[in-house]
Amino acid sequence: MLAFELTVQGLVQGSIYALIAVGLTLVYGLLRILHVAHAGLFTLGGYFGVLITNATGSLPLAILVAMVVVGVLGILVYRLCYQPILDQPPYVALIASIGLFIAMEEIYRLVFGPFGISYTDAPLTDTVTLATLNLKQGEILTMVGTVVLIGGLAVFAGRTRMGAAWRATVTDPAMAESFGIDVIKVRYLNFFIGSALAAAAGVLVALLNNLVEPTMGSVPSYKALAIIVLGGLGDVRGTLIAALALGVIESFGTIYLGTILDRDAIAFAFLIIVLMIRPQGLFGRA
Amino acid sequence: MFAWKHSVAAIAVAVAMAAGSAAADVKIGINVPLTGFAAADGKSALTGAQLAAEEANAAGGINGEKVELVVYDDQASPKESAPIATKLTAQDKVVAGISGSYSGATRAAAGVYQAAGTPFISAYAVHPDITRAGDFVFRTSFVGEVQGRAGAKLIGGMLGKKRVVMITLQNDFGKSLAAGFREAAGKFGITVVAEYPYSIKDRQFGPIVSKVKADKPEAIYASGYFFTAGPLVSQLRAAGIDVPVIGQEGYDSEKFIEIAGKAAEGVIITTSLDRDSDKAETKHFIAAFEKKAGYKADMVAASGHTAMKVLIEAMRKAGTTDKKAIRDAIAAAKVEASTGTISFNGLGEVRKDVQVQVVKDGAWHHHSVISDPDLLAPPSK
Repeated sequence: MLAFELTVQGLVQGSIYALIAVGLTLVYGLLRILHVAHAGLFTLGGYFGVLITNATGSLPLAILVAMVVVGVLGILVYRLCYQPILDQPPYVALIASIGLFIAMEEIYRLVFGPFGISYTDAPLTDTVTLATLNLKQGEILTMVGTVVLIGGLAVFAGRTRMGAAWRATVTDPAMAESFGIDVIKVRYLNFFIGSALAAAAGVLVALLNNLVEPTMGSVPSYKALAIIVLGGLGDVRGTLIAALALGVIESFGTIYLGTILDRDAIAFAFLIIVLMIRPQGLFGRA
Repeated sequence: MFAWKHSVAAIAVAVAMAAGSAAADVKIGINVPLTGFAAADGKSALTGAQLAAEEANAAGGINGEKVELVVYDDQASPKESAPIATKLTAQDKVVAGISGSYSGATRAAAGVYQAAGTPFISAYAVHPDITRAGDFVFRTSFVGEVQGRAGAKLIGGMLGKKRVVMITLQNDFGKSLAAGFREAAGKFGITVVAEYPYSIKDRQFGPIVSKVKADKPEAIYASGYFFTAGPLVSQLRAAGIDVPVIGQEGYDSEKFIEIAGKAAEGVIITTSLDRDSDKAETKHFIAAFEKKAGYKADMVAASGHTAMKVLIEAMRKAGTTDKKAIRDAIAAAKVEASTGTISFNGLGEVRKDVQVQVVKDGAWHHHSVISDPDLLAPPSK
């Protein structure tokens, strides 16, 4: 029974990882940029979630506004930070991204204060009991929300013209452009979707912890990189599986390996082991 | 036009000279984390120390001279605090220093202060090695082990709970608390059923909570800070675990109650600040801090204030800015401060009572006081 509870807890954590890492792998797939500042947008989503919920009392509104506003900010990050340096070697964009991320953390501290913020009346804290399993409503929303958002993304990418244009651009930008696809628009779309998903993750984490701090993104900033490497860089399906697998492995590892390795070390031990066996990632093709 | 330029130059020189004479103020250095993960504690510690300095200046300063705080941000990192301590002692020529930072940063700074023969007081860092840097280093807060032993007495002796699960933060603070708790556990009939470590970055405790639920303890001894303990306690309660949770001074902030909400009710901690104190000094501090900071006083704020006050009192007694004389005055101190009556043992460790606080109706309140000089004896070498 404990194993079942640990698995469920791992899936909750894995859902959060998935929402963050998908945006990151999308950006990498399209532009070959390791978008570290993505984790800063995730934190901002958390701030919007708490502030808007506290001001209006509506969590759904907070999620919606956080996703749209952070999505647009994601586009701005691309337009103002990455686009001017796209012709530089990849490490230039990486350095810019790390710098932007550190700046974002300090801006949040200056604007929102160092203590972090909490919901004044935290929503979805009631417990739902399924047999011996107690889950907070927020944890259920995390898992269901992730399935809905990622499912929606899959439908969008697979069933709409815009989705087809997007996939075509990721596969072969030059060819897509010659077929009349507006590559710039696709990039904007890509950043909007990825950032909006990260914002949703931020609101959900705020719900689970009832705490949003300036440094909330520091662990996801590097752990999400490990996840997209595991999933095979740019591979959305692989990233999702890697995120959920890592959540569950960490969950068991915390209990059974906790005295040897802390939770973050488990992620990287897993990464090293996988890369030794499959250098192309869990699902990448050699 | 030419004459005007000359008069400006004259004024500039005069201002520079005035600034030069103002620099005759007594300089006290302080390293605090003002950015990074520990910025919240840094803000409280600094505001507490500033309050003590302002109070001293309003009362005529130290033997007629004003106190000037020289502040540097150490990001709670030893990489930052060691150069800062060098700068403070060698360049800013402070007569004494305070650490408003965590153990790692404080340990690194302590060695530099000792080498420079400059008195140094740690406000709330817990690692035992800090005062071992030498005879110029003091601490006005409990070492982790002392507070861990107090926790064992609270759980086993006062609450009568014997089957305990430990949830331990993996840093100097959590590890030294755990060591002290285990050391005294047997004396109070406590069996430690299991111990789960976690990292300071963790906010999601789902797996640990599931396992603790299966362990069915009578009480939980969980080390941490308000930003880890808030989520931890709310997750424990959400999982239906309703046994007492015992924390320490790291929980001691209004923010803990804000984060954990209803789940915070009944949580008991060992700390240094008694909210319901009837001592004039403590009451005055609690009111003055809230007025200055705009939020309620916490343990870190009271500790910053206490360290500064002890230093100022010692400098008044010494009657000189001679560092050796100030050191001797600190060593002989007996000062009424917001965290109790402060005096030091031969190693420079504080001797004072442990305050036990409980969350009731959404606020910290008096629970009890642990006054047991043998159990609470700090290390002496």
